[in-house]
Amino acid sequence: MTVSPIQAEKLTRKFGDTIADDAVTFEVRQGEIYGLLGPNGAGKTTLVRMLTTLLHPTSGTARVAGHDVVREKGDVRASIGTVSQAETTDENLTVRENLSVQGKMYGLWGRDLSQRIERRLTQVGLWEKKNQLTKTLSGGMRRRLEIARGVLHSPHILFLDEPTTGLDPQSRRAVWEMLGELKSRDASLAIVLTTHAMDEANYLCDRVAIMDRGRILCEDAPEALKRSLPTGEHVEIETDREIETRDKESIVALGAVNWRSPSRTSVQFEARPGEGIGRRAAQLVEERGYEIRHLSISPVTLEDVFFAYTGRALREETVG
Amino acid sequence: MSGAVETAGRAREIGERATTGISRGPRLALLGILAICQRAYLTLWRQPVLIISTMLFPVIYLAVLGNALNRQLENVPIAVVDEAGNSLAAECRRAVLALESGRNLVVAAFPADREQALADLRTGRYRAVWVLPHGLSAAGPAPAFIGDNTDRFSYSTVESALSDIWTEATGVRRFATAETRLEAYPYLDYLTYLGPAVVCLAIFMGSMVAGGLQVIEDRMYGYHEGYLVTPVSTGAIVTGHMLAGTLVAGLAGSFVLLAIMLFTPLPMTTPEALGGGLVTVFLTALAITGLWFLLFSRARKTSALRGMFGIINVLVFFPSGALYPVESYPKWLKVVSDVDPLTYGVSALRDLLLRGAPLKSCYSEWLVLLTFSLVCGVLTQVLFRREV
Repeated sequence: MTVSPIQAEKLTRKFGDTIADDAVTFEVRQGEIYGLLGPNGAGKTTLVRMLTTLLHPTSGTARVAGHDVVREKGDVRASIGTVSQAETTDENLTVRENLSVQGKMYGLWGRDLSQRIERRLTQVGLWEKKNQLTKTLSGGMRRRLEIARGVLHSPHILFLDEPTTGLDPQSRRAVWEMLGELKSRDASLAIVLTTHAMDEANYLCDRVAIMDRGRILCEDAPEALKRSLPTGEHVEIETDREIETRDKESIVALGAVNWRSPSRTSVQFEARPGEGIGRRAAQLVEERGYEIRHLSISPVTLEDVFFAYTGRALREETVG
Repeated sequence: MSGAVETAGRAREIGERATTGISRGPRLALLGILAICQRAYLTLWRQPVLIISTMLFPVIYLAVLGNALNRQLENVPIAVVDEAGNSLAAECRRAVLALESGRNLVVAAFPADREQALADLRTGRYRAVWVLPHGLSAAGPAPAFIGDNTDRFSYSTVESALSDIWTEATGVRRFATAETRLEAYPYLDYLTYLGPAVVCLAIFMGSMVAGGLQVIEDRMYGYHEGYLVTPVSTGAIVTGHMLAGTLVAGLAGSFVLLAIMLFTPLPMTTPEALGGGLVTVFLTALAITGLWFLLFSRARKTSALRGMFGIINVLVFFPSGALYPVESYPKWLKVVSDVDPLTYGVSALRDLLLRGAPLKSCYSEWLVLLTFSLVCGVLTQVLFRREV
């Protein structure tokens, strides 16, 4: 029987009167990339800190690699790798020295350690820079070094707290590809990542939990989450003449909602994703003798899902 | 990648992972301690500013303080008012001029008006006025000394020089002097006396940087998180930090020790003194690092240390007897001095370097330093936060 990498039961953490995480229950399966997606202050980092033994839960339990995060901290620490938002590599050490220091903290030594360092640095594309001082690395390279540090001891579970925040698009893409590469080398490795970048969650995660105000609001594969929305597919049709009321009603009958006409000859509406409503509406318009000048059907994004659950209002940030 | 190769790769990954699971216990603790020390050592050499401040500061301190406190007084302005005008007074005036040109202690003026001289004393033009009154004679009246006692040091130095002149001129000894005076150890100037203090100051500064500041910075910037999430035990992390700080502070102290052995006229430069000195340096470094680490075991910001530095400096460095003999302290200060680990470092170094004492005379000091370090280590481990 395989132990599931993470099982959290009603995990709660309070800071004074503020509840950072409110009875969070979830499970991460072996070999999956699990995303915790939520706005700042949603409780993602606190959750990860509890799972990585850096914070004591106020109540609830969690098992990481089968070990209790309160009672078996040592075992938990031995089975996880972490890449936190903080920079845990020393800028005054070279790339290789940083991994050498860190490897020893996991009991690695000698040839085993140096081989691992070479392999991980090669994987993250930093082997050429092994003797460079860490402070001379760019932000993206530094993050890749952090990731190499996190997986040096081949953990069962890798925690990534906002791994690409603050990186430029190329560096983000490089980090994503690296994570894909890591996964392809080790199919049983489970990765938990927190992010507030929708595209990142969409690209990387097998399953996503959308968090807000300390709770998990929904949890599923990104595609499934998108399909579950009642609306979200954006359709925009521009025609040679104004669409008549009779034709509009036919389109609405297909399932179009939130009908808007920004100008006389163009219409916008939303539709339930995955049912081809946009395509069928366009077909209908053409069959009724209109000429389509412009058509766009934007698929629903994770962002739509996110906003559907968390709302659009800007809120005061709370730390946690 | 073909399926077979992929499976092989996966098996290799999992195999490696299994080895990490078993490497716990003493081996892991040792490697953890080694890792923290390795990092401290590497960091030290890449931050020249820190090396300079920890090693150069004490040396500058020695140069400035040693010279400021040790130099003879020179060119103290005094007024000699000769109202007597007899031969005895003339002899006194000649002796004052000799003092001026010889020892260079005073710059003498000879105003005629006593009132004017005293007025000038009050405005700071003279530091002392020596009045040779009418009818000056060995039987009396004797000269009057009116000195500026805001500065006790020059007051007493000039007073004693002038009274020596009077004694000499009249042939009357005010005090009986001892016939024999023996110096138990070779001649020491204050600068050399300060040597051990400077070594201890280097240790103090080094351990502040490596035992206090570095640990707080690690916590502030997140490096600590990298330690905390590893399976290395809290005890090993605390020990590692203490030894890392000791390494840095001990190296700083050792360099200064070598420097003063080479460049100051230290009486004892035997291999025994050097060996014992190095042991003392590292034990003192351990104790002081332990103290810094304990004091800031929960601090999250370096501002805590910045705010406390002055107080700790005064409470640890000054009562140690580094600058003034402990025997001159009032009772309460003696208590502070007794619990101050630096006291034992200074004392052991003085025994070894100035008195050429055998190593075994330092055992008790070493024992105190070791005990102090252990107590600090244990307390720190209790207080140390394993959380962020």
